[in-house]
Amino acid sequence: MVREVAESCVDTMLMEMVAMYSGRFYANKPELAARRIEAIGYQVGHQLSERYTMERPRFSDHLEAIKFICKDFWSEVFKKQIDNLKTNHRGTFVLQDNKFRWLSRVSIDPSPEKETEDPLSTPGESKAAQAVSMYLYFPCGIIRGVLSNLGIPCAVSADISSLPTCSFVIRVKA
Amino acid sequence: MQFFGGSEISPSPPVPTASGNNAHMMYVFNRNGVCLLYKEWNRPLHTLNPQQDHKLMFGLLFSLKSLTAKMDPVNADKGNLGVPQLPGQGCSFHSFRTNTYKLSFMETPSGIKIILVTHPKTGDLRESLKYIYGLYVEYVVKNPIYSPGSPIKSELFNTALDQYVRSIS
Repeated sequence: MVREVAESCVDTMLMEMVAMYSGRFYANKPELAARRIEAIGYQVGHQLSERYTMERPRFSDHLEAIKFICKDFWSEVFKKQIDNLKTNHRGTFVLQDNKFRWLSRVSIDPSPEKETEDPLSTPGESKAAQAVSMYLYFPCGIIRGVLSNLGIPCAVSADISSLPTCSFVIRVKA
Repeated sequence: MQFFGGSEISPSPPVPTASGNNAHMMYVFNRNGVCLLYKEWNRPLHTLNPQQDHKLMFGLLFSLKSLTAKMDPVNADKGNLGVPQLPGQGCSFHSFRTNTYKLSFMETPSGIKIILVTHPKTGDLRESLKYIYGLYVEYVVKNPIYSPGSPIKSELFNTALDQYVRSIS
């Protein structure tokens, strides 16, 4: 029996999760909030990988596992595939999604607010970028959970230099 | 022969050009009267400063809604003052027209009021306003970094809105 939930419910729940962790549980401690959110993602990734690799044979090498994430796993979770995969063949992979679904509605304020404290870089922009980056810890955790369940310990980080394109950098621990 | 329209005393505005930008301006208010968005495409005359303009617009619609509900000869349900009603329930005013512009209005059950001021020859814009509300839900409500009750500053919303409004005939 397939039980389904509206996508807007999932979206709203993810938004609220980040808001709770960074606003209430670990207010003013973004690193701790990020770690918790990433840990939740890890669990989710772990379980999802079990579900989506049920009928498949074991992966022959790391590249095959990464390709599984780029094609089948990403289509199951985000209804599209990864647009670009780059590797240095020495354990680092960059997965680029040109229109990351969970960031598709994020829009940073075009007019920066006037702030008098920090005269260095554009403070409005970096605060917004920081807020957006909190939303990427969950997908990073998912990827890390999937790979670790496939026997590939790694570290995953995300890069949003140009929205809505989003790159995930996977560093396999040798 | 027309008696009231098109004379020198109250000339009708120029017919919109082929570029299709029919809309003059748009307001979005929330339940508490905060102006979430004010967009202006073609407004040659400004009579008030922005704050007064927004307050006047909100007050006008508040009064108009309650007036139209109270003067309703058909429906007995008057509703509560200020409480948004479900679509189709009670009496809901949706537009008024003068010789120089038409103002179309829609209020959602969540209290979001969308007002679009266009050329007087515009048809019924209720479906368009519903579509604009759909854009609002999609790009503003679902934007993780938007805090409800604050002015809308989303690029995606502005672009989609511009594009859509230009296509309304």
